[in-house]
Amino acid sequence: MDENKKYPKSSIFKPLRHFKYLFKRPLSHPLDTVLTAKNADYLNKNNPFRKNKLKNSQPRTGPDNLRGFHVNDWEQCIGCATCEEICPTAAIEMVPRHDLPLVAGKLQQRPVIDYGRCCFCALCVDTCTTGSLKMSKEYVFGDSNPNSFKLMPTEKWQDHEVELGYQKSEVTDLLDLKRIEMEHVSPEERVKSYIEVIRGYSKEFAKLEASRCVECGVCTASCPVQMHIPDYIRAIWEDDIEGGLKIIYETNPLPGVCGRVCTHNCETACSIAQRGEAIAIRWLKRYIIDSAPDEMYEKIFSEPVSEVINAKIAIAGSGPSSLSAAYYLRGLGYTVDVFEEKSRAGGVASFGAPEYRIPDYAVEKDINFIKKIGVNIYTNTKIGKDITLEELQKKYDAVYLGTGFFSARKLNIPGSDHPDVMGAMDFLPITRDFARGAISLEDVNVKPSVVVVGGGDVAFDVARNATRIQILKYGKANVKLTSLETLDILPGSDDEYLEGTEEYINCFLGHGPQEVVLKDGKIKGLRVTKCTRVFDETGRFNPEFDNTQETLLEGEQVFFSVGQAPDYSYIPESLKDKVIIERGKIKASQDGQVAGLDWLFVGGDIFRGPDIITGVSDGHRAAVAIDDFLYNKSKKKEQTEYMKNVREAIKFNNPDLALKPERKRTLK
Amino acid sequence: MMNSMNNIKEVEDLVNKTVKVLKTENIDKNQIAFEIEKLEVHRLLTVLKNTGWIQLSYLSAIDWPDENKFEVVYIVFNWEKPVYIQVRTKIDRGNPVMESILPIFPGAKYYEREAHEFFGIAFPGNPDYEKQLILENWDDIPPLRKDFDPSAYSARKFPSREYPQDFSVKDPNNKTLEKTEERKKRAKALRVGGKKQ
Repeated sequence: MDENKKYPKSSIFKPLRHFKYLFKRPLSHPLDTVLTAKNADYLNKNNPFRKNKLKNSQPRTGPDNLRGFHVNDWEQCIGCATCEEICPTAAIEMVPRHDLPLVAGKLQQRPVIDYGRCCFCALCVDTCTTGSLKMSKEYVFGDSNPNSFKLMPTEKWQDHEVELGYQKSEVTDLLDLKRIEMEHVSPEERVKSYIEVIRGYSKEFAKLEASRCVECGVCTASCPVQMHIPDYIRAIWEDDIEGGLKIIYETNPLPGVCGRVCTHNCETACSIAQRGEAIAIRWLKRYIIDSAPDEMYEKIFSEPVSEVINAKIAIAGSGPSSLSAAYYLRGLGYTVDVFEEKSRAGGVASFGAPEYRIPDYAVEKDINFIKKIGVNIYTNTKIGKDITLEELQKKYDAVYLGTGFFSARKLNIPGSDHPDVMGAMDFLPITRDFARGAISLEDVNVKPSVVVVGGGDVAFDVARNATRIQILKYGKANVKLTSLETLDILPGSDDEYLEGTEEYINCFLGHGPQEVVLKDGKIKGLRVTKCTRVFDETGRFNPEFDNTQETLLEGEQVFFSVGQAPDYSYIPESLKDKVIIERGKIKASQDGQVAGLDWLFVGGDIFRGPDIITGVSDGHRAAVAIDDFLYNKSKKKEQTEYMKNVREAIKFNNPDLALKPERKRTLK
Repeated sequence: MMNSMNNIKEVEDLVNKTVKVLKTENIDKNQIAFEIEKLEVHRLLTVLKNTGWIQLSYLSAIDWPDENKFEVVYIVFNWEKPVYIQVRTKIDRGNPVMESILPIFPGAKYYEREAHEFFGIAFPGNPDYEKQLILENWDDIPPLRKDFDPSAYSARKFPSREYPQDFSVKDPNNKTLEKTEERKKRAKALRVGGKKQ
């Protein structure tokens, strides 16, 4: 470049050229185009010389993307406090708003912004989990009172509808909305055996997934046992497995089971799921359990647990709710005996859920720790046969019933009494015994083509088990699944549907079974008709069918997975009229204490249902209630300071009833 | 004109010939960094200035509290060859003294004052290095040291005010938020450390 042209030549008269601006209209904006109506009003009233000068104030709007005052859509805002957390000037404070409804996935608080501190950096907008917090184009705010600069953003700015300025975009969004992918065994591979489908996170991937969590804690209220979810996720991120394990065992004595088969309402409530994929909370829990070596379990209780209270409690059944009650009662200092009719403990975890979801070693890891702290488990001991409930009442100070829903239900349609028509709960324990090698393949009654009736997770368990056995037995699978519900209202989880269809299950959704068609004493198939509605206007289960649309689903065997039923035959005559059973469940107080029989407590499926983690919460509540019932009237030994703290922790963590989040449907 | 890769190579040869290089880092095709001994900084800068790197673009420091060192960084630029050269040297954090480079680059005067103000590094040879430049009446440790706590400083200097307006709506029987807080505290007490990220 020519050096002479690079900069203009200077001259002593140059400044004179500015005089020409003396006669030009100024380019700056006059006040009446800058101020909002509210500010203009204020000046109109308070200007002593020129009243109403700004009467025709027409505020000009700010440019696009202006980072002006905030607006916050309260319909969307969940009070997660990530804005408060990120604010570099500590301008945002969450204030309690108990006038808002207490619902799953939302906290009763909303942000208030101190505009004396705010630097309008918009990090709060970029990190907002829901996208409710945005900035407007408003940038003028004046007031003679310095106390009025703290404002609570709502959908409107100063009661006016305003144009939106800065909003986050995909580029500026600070949250990772995509889940770290979990490795699954390929469908071709997994149907050949009972290998666990989900491989589990490696350390690196677990940390990456943990780093997505914003630690807002909206999930905890949806967890039936209110696990300390953000805290154990943080422990993973900081590579503190021991701390994570201790935190998990505060509220859940069956984490290995729940890390695999939990209904994970926490993930449904997750704030990241508002716009993206929820944190894989269930799998992160599993990661901690899988990475904790056996020695580390000794650190959960750093002193041996022993009887300090002279009272004995009998527990009928060894499913999740029973084991949970046993664990907490033991921690409180009682003698606990668990009676299980089957050959091994675990209930639904050992005999209901399939091996490819939750292998025996994982169940055993949880149960071994419960045994290790001194819970006695007597297997092959059936209540009502080997020992009666009356005997238990005499021998023990309190009895907890957690016998579950272990009987199969079948539909009462023509042909359903055929021996090749089976209920889910008759079939699943057999498959589990087969998977662990207790029975041989020949003894498992699965025909080359089967039809499964039901749309819940258990129906998929049956279908996927049948697929595996068919492939082992005949080399190929032929499983059809039919349910009343169509995909948009299918009660089974998305994972089960996706994995099940990958495993060659043919789904005929939206059909109602009418008849098991027989020919020469053998099953030919299941006649189904189109289901036009499942629930009526009031939301009650009341299906209607269109008889003109009929199909025959061919198959040599039919499985019904239409719900489970309890077996109360162990309740003796003397107690029958005192135990009230409503719709299959025993009536009791919130903690599970049966009215009129203060020594009898219930939990799990026979009390509240419907899933494992709710059973665990029933067990915890019942353990605390049993302690309240027995503690004062029992003799006690001196307890160490440490075990006193454990006692307090168990009482402190006694869970409230969970809030149920609304399930979002992604499959169509 | 030679291409930039040759330039980098040439610079590397020149620097290696002049001083003992502790570490070389190729930042990109136009930028290269050398870590050298403290006492050799002046020699290298003199040689670079005489070879064409006549402009001091930048002078600042980095705090490495774990190593107990400050790293002083000089960036020089050559208008003929498009290569930025970073000269880095680590000095003791306990007694941070770095002789001024005023005789080589007079423009370093204000950079050195700034580095003194924000890190507390002394630059003997620069008569004004202790004069305040940006921070007025600073009464704390230099603010760009990693052990400076900005929120504690701001809490001390600008006490938070109480606003008469209260936006909360409280139900005395509703203890959900308090309970969450209590639970958080309890869970935190169970941690055994782990590596902080």
